[in-house]
Amino acid sequence: MAGSNEINVNESKVFVLILLWGSLKSSVSFHIPFLGLEFLSRIFEVSGEKQSLFGGMKFETKVVPLNTWILISNFKLAYNMLRRPDGTFNRDLAEFLERKVPPNAIPVDGVFSFDVVDSSTSLLNRIYRPSPETEANSQFGIDDLQKPLSTTEIVPVIIFFHGGSFTHSSANSAIYDTFCRRLVSICKAVVVSVNYRRSPENRYPSAYDDGWAALKWVHSRPWLHSGKDSKAYVYLAGDSSGGNIAHHVAHRAAESGVEVLGNILLHPMFGGQERTESEKKLDGKYFVTIQDRDWYWRAYLPEGEDRDHPACNPFGPRGVSLEGLSFPKSLVVVAGLDLVQDWQLAYVEGLKNAGQEVKLLFLKQATIGFYFLPNNDHFYYLMEEINSFVNPNC
Amino acid sequence: MDPYRSGSSSSCAGKAPDQIDGLLAAAGYRVRSSELRNVAQRLERLETVMVNAPSEISHLADEVVLHNPSDLASWVDSLLSELNQPVPVPDLSDLTYAQPLDPTVNTGAWMEHHAAEQHREIPQVLTAVEEDSCIQLVHVLMTCAGSVQRGEFSLARALIDEMQGLLTRVNNRCGIGKVAGYFIDALSRRLFSPQGSGLIGSAYENEILYHHFYEASPYLKFAHFTANQAILEAFDGHDCVHVIDFNLMQGLQWPALIQALALRPGGPPLLRLTGIGPPSSDGRDSLREIGLRLAELAHSVNVQFAFRGVAASRLEDVKPWMLQVGPKEAVAINFIMQLHRLLVSDPTRGSPIEAVLGWIRNLNPKVMTVVEQEANHNQPEFLDRFTEALHYYSTTFDSLETCSTQPDKALAEIYIQREICNIVCCEGLARVERHEPLAKWQSRLRGAGFKPLHLGSNAFKQASMLLTLFSAEGYCVEEDGGCLTLGWHSRPLIAASAWQAIPEPNPPLGLVDPYNNVV
Repeated sequence: MAGSNEINVNESKVFVLILLWGSLKSSVSFHIPFLGLEFLSRIFEVSGEKQSLFGGMKFETKVVPLNTWILISNFKLAYNMLRRPDGTFNRDLAEFLERKVPPNAIPVDGVFSFDVVDSSTSLLNRIYRPSPETEANSQFGIDDLQKPLSTTEIVPVIIFFHGGSFTHSSANSAIYDTFCRRLVSICKAVVVSVNYRRSPENRYPSAYDDGWAALKWVHSRPWLHSGKDSKAYVYLAGDSSGGNIAHHVAHRAAESGVEVLGNILLHPMFGGQERTESEKKLDGKYFVTIQDRDWYWRAYLPEGEDRDHPACNPFGPRGVSLEGLSFPKSLVVVAGLDLVQDWQLAYVEGLKNAGQEVKLLFLKQATIGFYFLPNNDHFYYLMEEINSFVNPNC
Repeated sequence: MDPYRSGSSSSCAGKAPDQIDGLLAAAGYRVRSSELRNVAQRLERLETVMVNAPSEISHLADEVVLHNPSDLASWVDSLLSELNQPVPVPDLSDLTYAQPLDPTVNTGAWMEHHAAEQHREIPQVLTAVEEDSCIQLVHVLMTCAGSVQRGEFSLARALIDEMQGLLTRVNNRCGIGKVAGYFIDALSRRLFSPQGSGLIGSAYENEILYHHFYEASPYLKFAHFTANQAILEAFDGHDCVHVIDFNLMQGLQWPALIQALALRPGGPPLLRLTGIGPPSSDGRDSLREIGLRLAELAHSVNVQFAFRGVAASRLEDVKPWMLQVGPKEAVAINFIMQLHRLLVSDPTRGSPIEAVLGWIRNLNPKVMTVVEQEANHNQPEFLDRFTEALHYYSTTFDSLETCSTQPDKALAEIYIQREICNIVCCEGLARVERHEPLAKWQSRLRGAGFKPLHLGSNAFKQASMLLTLFSAEGYCVEEDGGCLTLGWHSRPLIAASAWQAIPEPNPPLGLVDPYNNVV
């Protein structure tokens, strides 16, 4: 892997071609609604005579806006088709169905993005940045990716691991591209979305290795440094499997002395052999089933392993203690309608017992994926919390 | 640029019901607000069906051909209906990828899918001086292009000199140095020989370059493959079929189609191929030669075949009567990297695209396949075109680095260099490389009376398999609203789509020439 100060051919080639436009004359602008604007909020109403047809939706749609319900249900059904009972995965169809977007060096709503290939891993990292404040810097400018983000201010860099239960989605999935853009807008941070290798083609520990490579890569880019002491102010974040990856990368970082300032885990994917109350109670009720969770663990963990493997159950019988480690502070978000919540709450307890700093955000009426569409209060609450977490001095 | 971001939605409550839900659009799905409840119901129904047949679902997924997943409503419907009736369609997966014009090709079973070796390139480390020069080079390129746009030619020439100097400090055998070199060269041509029209080669030279570009990268193979798939599906059930190819070149696309038609259940149709190409200047009749070779191939696989060559130096010179389309034929029109040439505009008469699309529509083709470079190289401002081309061709060159066979790679680069020169050096009638992005083509073709035929998941899957077998890692096929794109890493470079004419209510009685004069 390239040393900390080397920049290889691939990168410089891509970097120098990031062009910023002063005006959006040729771009098509897309309105990303957030704070201050009216947002869609539709609660699906169950009408009397159609009860039987809508019966199954009754629980979910009282708490979930209609378009969110459609989005998550669509994923649920499509994913059903892709998982095979023998543990293999229909990757071709998955790629066909996946909605992807290219990067866009032209700022849209104040955020632009570009992809860089880390030549040591051949992995794609998608970088999202806020567009520069002053016109003068951007008129036909080339974003000089040799310069740090700022020499005076601290600009947090959030390394984001997308979800998908280790199997689905990519850094260029539309849902995650949109989410990362919102993160940049609200937190005024730079986001690096990692295109880690997925299971079942690549099992444990591939995703963690890729996360670790990305962390080291970020630290070694001078153009991701900021502040007076010119270093990368790195946070790790992820939803579902991405949250699990963030934990394990942070663990390795803590053991190796690589700095991570904080972890943001959005309904992280953990589990164990035991069947918890929340799993039994919520099985199949809000888009997720125990059966599919089991499938994804079998696809990710080494063959023959069970769910008490420390990757899945870090504070379980085979877990490693974090006591005494300089582990980053954590923000753990738990959705009250997620069947995995007991494991996530156990994770929070585990961190506390090891003397680590952790803040729990328990969103009682939230389902998984509540943060994909900004049409509910939980979304805004979450964004504010993340903002305060990565900008502690503001 | 990005179809998912087309500004068709607002975020205000109480908007018009036929508007697309903006939040779902940001997730890549197009659903009308008025249809949300409907779609929700259908999703629920689909779930019920799936719950009742759990063991069949993933098996079904392998067989069902799905189209355009962005259109959630129709996607769910197609699944619902497929769960009752699966429809088998012959496809190209029974063939090994045909070598061009080789009648002895083995048409046996598809090769085993082997995972591609990961080629880890040893990272080349640039020295500090080289890094610096690379960045400076691009800065100066942009400044130079800007000065060209503003008509400051003496400044531009001075900058060319500066760039030549910088080039010597950069390794121009690879990476940014090479691409920058071609763009500097193109700018100099524009400045120092303004009456020249870029790089023009003979038709024969162009054919050679094309062939090596075909070998060096998957772009043309993908174009041919995807178009053939759509043509094959459109010809299903027809006994007399006629393909009109607007750029025959060496006919590399057609052996595979001929073989696929030969293997069609129920036997092959009668196939006519009309190949259009520029006239040969050196006494050879290349169109006829190629027609003869294709005829030999067709004969060897027992497909009744007839060929006609149409020589035309400009596409708009082609007239419908030259094609001799029969009344009972199913017609397929094929435009591989050609349609943009019709956007060349003449100050007196405008561009011929509408007239040509008009008479094509009157032929009522079963399918029109369009493959185009996915780039915005036809913008009115020079600097915009220059910048876009710099991005686009850097990506293309990057992908060509993976080709290890010579002289394929070197000649492929020259093929690309010609395109670059045309975009940068030429104006007016000489600038024929007027690439436009897929979204623009889609609205243009809709406006001309065509409706999209969505390319399905089977074509996607086969294209992906082809890539894995024959190309380096880094290329990716993506589905984009019923069309397929091939790109390098996450940047789409080629977009393939298929169209069908919407029959006109009152077709005109006579034939018209490209400028709408009745013939």
